[in-house]
Amino acid sequence: MATSRICVPGQRLNRADDKHIGGKGTYSRNGFIYSSVLGYWEERPTNDNTEILISVHTGETQTVIPSIDDIVTARVTNVNPRFCKCEILSVGTTPLCDVYRGLVRKEDVRATEKDRVEMYRCFRPGDIIIARVLSLGDAQSYILGTAENELGVAIGMSEAGVSMVPVSWCKMQCPKTLNEEFRKVAKVRPEYIQTVHQG
Amino acid sequence: MPTDTRRISGPEISHSPYDYCLTPPIDLIGADKKRLDGRLPAQLRPLFLRAGVISQARGSGYIEVDQTKVICAVYGPREVLRREDFSLKGQLTCDFKFTTFSCRLRRQHQQDNQEKDLSVQLLEALEPAVCLQKYPKSQINIYVTVLQNDGSALSAAIICASLALASAGIEMYDLVLASSVAMRDALTIVDPTEREEEAVLNKTHKAELNAGSMTVAFLPSINQVSAISSDGEILCETLTKSMRLCVENCLKLYPVLQQALVKHRLDKQADTS
Amino acid sequence: MTDVDLSEAEKTFILHSMQDNFREDGRGCEDFRHMEVETGLISNTNGSARVRLASTDILVGVKVQLVPVDPNKPNVGRIEFFLDCSANATPAFEGRGGEGLASEITAMLTRAYSCPSAIDYPSLCVLPGQQCWLLYIDVLLLECGGNLFDAVSIAVKSALFNLRIPNVTMTKDEGGIELDVSDDPFDFKRLDVAGAPIIVTVNKIGHFHVVDASEKEEVCSLARLMLGITEKGTVTAMKKEGSGSLDTDSISEMIESAKKVGVELNKCLLNILMTEEGQEVKPVGFLR
Repeated sequence: MATSRICVPGQRLNRADDKHIGGKGTYSRNGFIYSSVLGYWEERPTNDNTEILISVHTGETQTVIPSIDDIVTARVTNVNPRFCKCEILSVGTTPLCDVYRGLVRKEDVRATEKDRVEMYRCFRPGDIIIARVLSLGDAQSYILGTAENELGVAIGMSEAGVSMVPVSWCKMQCPKTLNEEFRKVAKVRPEYIQTVHQG
Repeated sequence: MPTDTRRISGPEISHSPYDYCLTPPIDLIGADKKRLDGRLPAQLRPLFLRAGVISQARGSGYIEVDQTKVICAVYGPREVLRREDFSLKGQLTCDFKFTTFSCRLRRQHQQDNQEKDLSVQLLEALEPAVCLQKYPKSQINIYVTVLQNDGSALSAAIICASLALASAGIEMYDLVLASSVAMRDALTIVDPTEREEEAVLNKTHKAELNAGSMTVAFLPSINQVSAISSDGEILCETLTKSMRLCVENCLKLYPVLQQALVKHRLDKQADTS
Repeated sequence: MTDVDLSEAEKTFILHSMQDNFREDGRGCEDFRHMEVETGLISNTNGSARVRLASTDILVGVKVQLVPVDPNKPNVGRIEFFLDCSANATPAFEGRGGEGLASEITAMLTRAYSCPSAIDYPSLCVLPGQQCWLLYIDVLLLECGGNLFDAVSIAVKSALFNLRIPNVTMTKDEGGIELDVSDDPFDFKRLDVAGAPIIVTVNKIGHFHVVDASEKEEVCSLARLMLGITEKGTVTAMKKEGSGSLDTDSISEMIESAKKVGVELNKCLLNILMTEEGQEVKPVGFLR
């Protein structure tokens, strides 16, 4: 890539008219699009070919923090009858450099029969879960939810300390002892599998 | 521990020998219209900038303005751990520290009042440039250490911190540049050294109205001043004039900072491929 | 500062009325609110003053002490500022809550008073190279109603005006010089405060520059400039505060405006202090 395609924060990239729109790593001010990060400048036509999307890619140094509606991967640290605490390890496919605290409340575990949820039959400490960020929460933690088929426990450890195999949407089986344990199992979509291995 | 009673213990309070040195008043410019280090009054010192000097930090920078050397590290965005510090908006914290050996007189390990004041000024200079609303519930920590101080340490620190922030990939509206001037009577010198800074502040006769120093932090592409501070007694007209001079000097430094960042990006690219 | 919650609509109201050159309390851009100054109300201090600026309430006490001189500056006295943000003002100041604000105000005061012409520093030196007066200037924040920096600096200047430093007689005897501090309350000297600066804060609200902002106006302003202004119109210290930035033209306008207000304020304050000194008024104190 050419040197000229590297831009620094505050560099003016283009006019913000009806042909050009600013994407990631940019901001617009007074009718111009400026870069907001150090990285490579890229112009790409949008899907319907009517506009040009201008974005700046930082390369491998991405600074992400969880925001609403993101899919995150988290490790369960603490379970009690009302909620379970976890630490968020990555957002989408990007691992975080620092863990953030998250919370799954009892009523956000599944979409149906919310009142009959028992937390101990859904999560155990050490499980790796996939969840969606519902709100930024309070000073303590982000509020996460797993009320979707694709969300829930992705990797569950059995009492014998072995990674379990899902057998139904609410059960996992230990391959060593063949014991079945209850979990809110995620129907992991292929694109998430990679994420989990990275995390 | 038993004390040695035969030994005469030293005095409780001691002073650096430099305290008793007589510092004769110096002339800012000599007969040849040149300053002590041979520069012209409006001449900046050569500048060296490098990003990515601390591997653990998210972003870092190092600046050398002749004998003034400053290193800076940026960590975060990370979660705010202490409940009382919490705010939904993103936060920036700055920590400015002179090393104990950076100045002529030894400094204490603990942050003194001047360092606290400089931390606040550094924060003021950087805050308008960072897109803090992109980092809710998080904080970004900036640690600046002055390794060697030969004047204009604050402006060097501001440039260095802005370099570190940009190399950390933090979203910013603009880069921040800074420049200092010192003035006495009708004379204005740019980028003063430590001796020159001291000389204007320790003026001896009261009759002089104009003696002081000033630092301006500037956002070049937005064309706005993000921080301005002055010390010493200065006339209003001089103040305005010096501010414009500082802004001009900031613009001279802009390409240097840009170059340093581009080089940093290219180096990184070379490392990965 | 203290927490004043304004909704977007309220902020817009203040901004829009500013565009029509109206402030929420009907003042002009360079007008101060009603101010009361009183000096000498605490008997245990060497000098004291209380300033009430609208609802901002500041009490300052100055105590003097003989100390060895600073070896760096053997011929001058020293001053030291200390600010206490009382939890009376707002519960947010409880514990260490007010520390940040306190250190900011003291740093600004120290800088404003650090230039040699601010007060007559050589007169505070008792015995060159050995003993000098150290002035402990303690500021107490009793109530916050906006524009703290200005109010504090006015109170400090008034307290320094009120300062009575006991006279010292020196007698030379074998083995050194003996210092004798007079305990006669009428045997004192005063300090010349004509050169002492007053801090003027100019807030940028919308496109306008206003002085003496109320708490609500302070919430609306993103950037402010603080300047220590002397009677002669010189600037002894300057700094910018707030999360916004300013362009160079508005900074020079703000400096001009601060200079105009500062010079006038210095004159008025000195006048009032002189007249108060002339007439024998009984201190009103805190109840009115």
